[in-house]
Amino acid sequence: MSDEEHHFESKADAGASKTYPQQAGTIRKNGYIVIKNRPCKVVEVSTSKTGKHGHAKCHFVGIDIFNGKKQEDIVPSSHNCDVPHVTRTDYQLIDISEDGFVSLLTDSGGTKDDLRLPTDESLLSQIKDGFAEGKDLVVTVMSSMGEEQICALKDIGPKN
Amino acid sequence: MQRSPNDLSQLQATMRAIELACSSIQMMVNPAEAEATILSFCQSPQPYQACQYIIENSQMPNARFQAATAIRDAAIRELEFSAAEKETFLAEVKQATLGIHGADVQFIGINFLESLVSEFSLSTSTTMVLPTEFHDQCQKSMELEYLKAFYCWARDAALSMTNKILDSDSAVPETKASTAALRLMLQILNWDFRYSKNGVEGAKGRKNVFSARVGNDNNLSRRSECTVVQPGPAWHEVLISSGHISWLLSFYRALRKKFSCEGFWLDCPLAVSARKLIVQFCSLKGDIFHSDNGQMQENHLLQLLSGIIEWVNPPEAVSKAIESGKSESEMLDGCRALLSIATVTTPVVFDQLLKSISSFGTLTLLSALMCEVLKVLIVSNAEEETWSWVARDLLLDTWTALLVPIESGGKTGLLPAEGRNAAANVFSLIVESELKAASASACSDDVDTDYFQASVSAMDERLSSYALIGRAAIDITIPLLTNLFNERVARLHQGRGITDPTVTLEELYSMLLIIGHVLADEGDGETPLVPKAIQTQHVASGESEKHPVVVLSSSILNFAKQSLDPEMRASIFSPRLMEAIAWFLARWSSTYLMPPEETGENSGSGYDNNHMVQSLCSSKALLIFGEHNQGKSVLDLVVHIATTTLVFYPGEKDLQALTCYHLLHALVRRRNVCVHLVALDSWHHLANAFANERLLFTLYSAHQRSLAQTLVVSASGMRNPDASNQYVRDLMGHMTNYLVELSSKNDLKIVAQQPDVILSVSCLLERLRGAARATEPRTQKAIYEMGSTVMNSILIFLEVYKHEFAVVYLLLKFVVDWVDGQIIYLEAQETAGVVNFCMRLLQLYSSHNIGKISLSLSSSLLSEAKTEKYKDLRALLQLLANLCSKDLVDFSSDSTETPGTNISQVVYFGLCIVIPLISLDLLKYPKLCRDFFSLLSHLLEVYPEMVAQLNDEAFSHVLGTLDFGLHHQDTEVVDMCLRALKALASYHYKETSVGKVGLGARAAGSKDQSGQMSEGIFSQFLRTLLHLVLFEDYSIDLVSAAADALLPLILCEQALYQRLGNELIERQVNPAFKSRLANALQSLTSSNQLSFTLDRMNYQRFRKNLNHFLVEVRGFLRMI
Repeated sequence: MSDEEHHFESKADAGASKTYPQQAGTIRKNGYIVIKNRPCKVVEVSTSKTGKHGHAKCHFVGIDIFNGKKQEDIVPSSHNCDVPHVTRTDYQLIDISEDGFVSLLTDSGGTKDDLRLPTDESLLSQIKDGFAEGKDLVVTVMSSMGEEQICALKDIGPKN
Repeated sequence: MQRSPNDLSQLQATMRAIELACSSIQMMVNPAEAEATILSFCQSPQPYQACQYIIENSQMPNARFQAATAIRDAAIRELEFSAAEKETFLAEVKQATLGIHGADVQFIGINFLESLVSEFSLSTSTTMVLPTEFHDQCQKSMELEYLKAFYCWARDAALSMTNKILDSDSAVPETKASTAALRLMLQILNWDFRYSKNGVEGAKGRKNVFSARVGNDNNLSRRSECTVVQPGPAWHEVLISSGHISWLLSFYRALRKKFSCEGFWLDCPLAVSARKLIVQFCSLKGDIFHSDNGQMQENHLLQLLSGIIEWVNPPEAVSKAIESGKSESEMLDGCRALLSIATVTTPVVFDQLLKSISSFGTLTLLSALMCEVLKVLIVSNAEEETWSWVARDLLLDTWTALLVPIESGGKTGLLPAEGRNAAANVFSLIVESELKAASASACSDDVDTDYFQASVSAMDERLSSYALIGRAAIDITIPLLTNLFNERVARLHQGRGITDPTVTLEELYSMLLIIGHVLADEGDGETPLVPKAIQTQHVASGESEKHPVVVLSSSILNFAKQSLDPEMRASIFSPRLMEAIAWFLARWSSTYLMPPEETGENSGSGYDNNHMVQSLCSSKALLIFGEHNQGKSVLDLVVHIATTTLVFYPGEKDLQALTCYHLLHALVRRRNVCVHLVALDSWHHLANAFANERLLFTLYSAHQRSLAQTLVVSASGMRNPDASNQYVRDLMGHMTNYLVELSSKNDLKIVAQQPDVILSVSCLLERLRGAARATEPRTQKAIYEMGSTVMNSILIFLEVYKHEFAVVYLLLKFVVDWVDGQIIYLEAQETAGVVNFCMRLLQLYSSHNIGKISLSLSSSLLSEAKTEKYKDLRALLQLLANLCSKDLVDFSSDSTETPGTNISQVVYFGLCIVIPLISLDLLKYPKLCRDFFSLLSHLLEVYPEMVAQLNDEAFSHVLGTLDFGLHHQDTEVVDMCLRALKALASYHYKETSVGKVGLGARAAGSKDQSGQMSEGIFSQFLRTLLHLVLFEDYSIDLVSAAADALLPLILCEQALYQRLGNELIERQVNPAFKSRLANALQSLTSSNQLSFTLDRMNYQRFRKNLNHFLVEVRGFLRMI
């Protein structure tokens, strides 16, 4: 079997590519897809045919993972779509600065200070309130296609 | 009745007031005040005397009308009369009904009876806050004492008006009253007769006192338009021997003739009611006819049919008239009548009916009628529902009603020969009309997005009816199908590359569906036999090759084979056509390919096929596709076609779903087929491609799961368990290796988030899950190894992919399915390993998710996140439940000697991890709710002592959810909660009665901070449960479970129970009910030698007692 094993190997040049091609038919609900150059989460997939005896095509409804806007696309299901490389990293929240930036503690002990707080009021207040109550918060930062955003927070309790 | 002068003056005053009010309404003087007067009159208690007086004395029709209306309303409002009052009152109604006070009042009188009847048939009664028992008694007395009388009044009323209506030229008031009378008769015949069935009132007839709306199941037949009417022998005189029906028929006929030039008449209320009543008579059945071998019923039906026939015969003329504007309602009622007759007779009797009065049989008429309707359908080709659609469906139902009993009864006498020809004629037109519809829709641009299955199941009922008709004459219909099919195939070949094949493709698609239905039944997971009608029908030629079914099957197989050729595939075999082929092959293979009786040769394989062998021997000709004939080569062909759809139709999800879920599953369902499968090169290639090549990763991941399952199942065809296990290892080994290697990479954290890696991991997890689901004793070992190899990797992936919900879910589901398949076989040491792994998995999941809040601008993404959480939790609950099963079923060899894992501790520990993640909000998901309660009740039942050890928070959470569950609408959830309660209470009672603490403080109740005494849990639940049992709606199935929970609760809290019982008695106002309740409560706890122990015997006694108790008291306690 050894000569076949390379089929499963992935190219290990990590992070080199922002997107990967994947056959439209294999993309599932809850997966990711690039629509109009925006990374989206797929919330709906339906298939139809081009004419009764034609080939299948997929109809995707996606939600932009950063701005929440709805996007739609139709792709023949045997064609490839771009799938975005989405990463999420946890950081401990150290500080929220006056000018709307957060200060985060990285795994290696350094700080990451280039991330803005979300502008949306409710998201902002969820972060600020938690922080103000003195909870120890871990924030999850989602990044894809050159954009970053805090996408979740988690109370890890009073002690570390 | 004598009246005092005082009364009289009062009555006169009332009459004048009403007359005044009526006239002021008429003249529009101060209408508001007048209306108020009338309204208050109508709503006054017991206005019967006044009404009677007005009706008898007033000169004003309007006032009489109002009085009659008032009686109606009041009578419905105040159902309780003294006997004398009732008599007078009914005499009054009778007079009104018979027309003594003129046609207006007559109309009201009849209407009143109609509402009375509908009020008493429970399914249409209104809420009146009266005890259920009262309704029940009313219903019984209505049926036994009054219905027939009412019917006769209505009949006499209608009779008396006959001449007036027939003689007058325009609509007279009598028309209205007469219509109402016919409607009333119809309504009475619609009554759900339960007491008059020859006095036999078995358990079935007894009313369900446990829920208010039972509905009458008898009437829930598949064809809602056709209910069988069985009023019993008491009605014989009224309906059959009195000449009533012949009056009705001639009344209708006379009217019909009189108004023959006025097209609208057919739809006027009188005509409609008369026809409905006639149709209803067609459904009469049972003891009302004397037992004279059906002769009386036949005469009855013949009489009706001779009246009805002119509605539908000659079919051509009738349909032509309708097409040129005549109302279709009479024709449709004619079809309904045929349907009713078909429902109460056998095909032979049905056919004979008409023969005695005409040159053809009823089947011939049915066939001619159906053909006519189909012709109209073919021509009109309308999109929306027209009369011909309705007629077609009615007539199809009629055929089904005639033919279905043959199928299930296994009688050899099918349709009479003439009927077979009739059926064949109909069938050929059916096929023609379907082909026409197919070709018309082929190019229509409304691209149906329907998934194939959806479109088939929507058509399924219709296709099944077609199939029944087709099977009634296979010697004609199947050759016809063969010809039509071959014709289309030839047309495709001729036009290849020249003309657009779409129309022909669609026709073939449609034909494959029809043929599939005619040749074979849906297996529904079982092995379907060759349909009886096909097995038993004598077919002229003796040779297998010439049997029509064989000829047709071979034609289709040959055609399907051409899809293997790339050029042909590109030009002819569209994805949609392949869908039909895959569906057909799946259905056909289950029935005809290597039918099971041949396993007799490899005897001892565990199949008990003797009866199958016998029943199949009659159709030896069909064994040509068996194991020792063409079976192997056909199987090989099917596998090739299946592989083709998976490999050469990229992205065609629907097609591949059919292949994976239907076709391949059908092949591996039977072991004798698996034996041949694993020996085929084509199967080997498929397995190899799946295990080692990248190609099949482009399949939809759920399809990959199914494929893995199929391939592992086929391993059962290997000659011994070792070979089967090796087969699975070879299949899955490469995949597990990949996962292990990936999880041990140093840069996993970075690599893992690449979309292509996520795709690979997801697909492999799905495949592993598919394999796990295929666990059988024979392959258990290899699948255990598969899972234990990746256990560690799973935990690593759970950490790495903690933000990737889709992957997390797959990880959990794999573990759930794997544990489910494995746990009962595992030895002690293996069990410990698996349990330990599961606990680490739970802790890890919990640590990732407790206190986590998703932030997103998009509400739909947030709700997705919630759904994902729900699915995860459900998987975790299933995992715990699967672990529990180890304590119940254990096949391991060393379970008694070596100290095993304490499953109860483990599962309680797991539950404590999971409970904080579950909110009442999440319990709104019904499946999660069910899983949660089944786990909870299981734990409480098996390990009640653990409850005492729960901490306060977990304890109150558990009890809160139990209380929530008791009031759940899902019967199963309530049942599970009751079982849990029983377990808790009986544990406590047994413990305390031997001097132990039981649940101790939990049961005793406590003071909270404010010094308020709060009740112990058993007191709370005793209250809740008593209230539930006595006053709320629940299924009758729950009574036993409720009894089992109630008994130990009562024993735990005897003082409280006494108090509650006394309160209940005190609350009854009616002294009769009061003493009945007291007696019932007394015997609930004392009869049947009930004692204070909790053994099986005692539980049984208490169940009986509670049942009696509820039957006795719920009737008057419950108000509806």
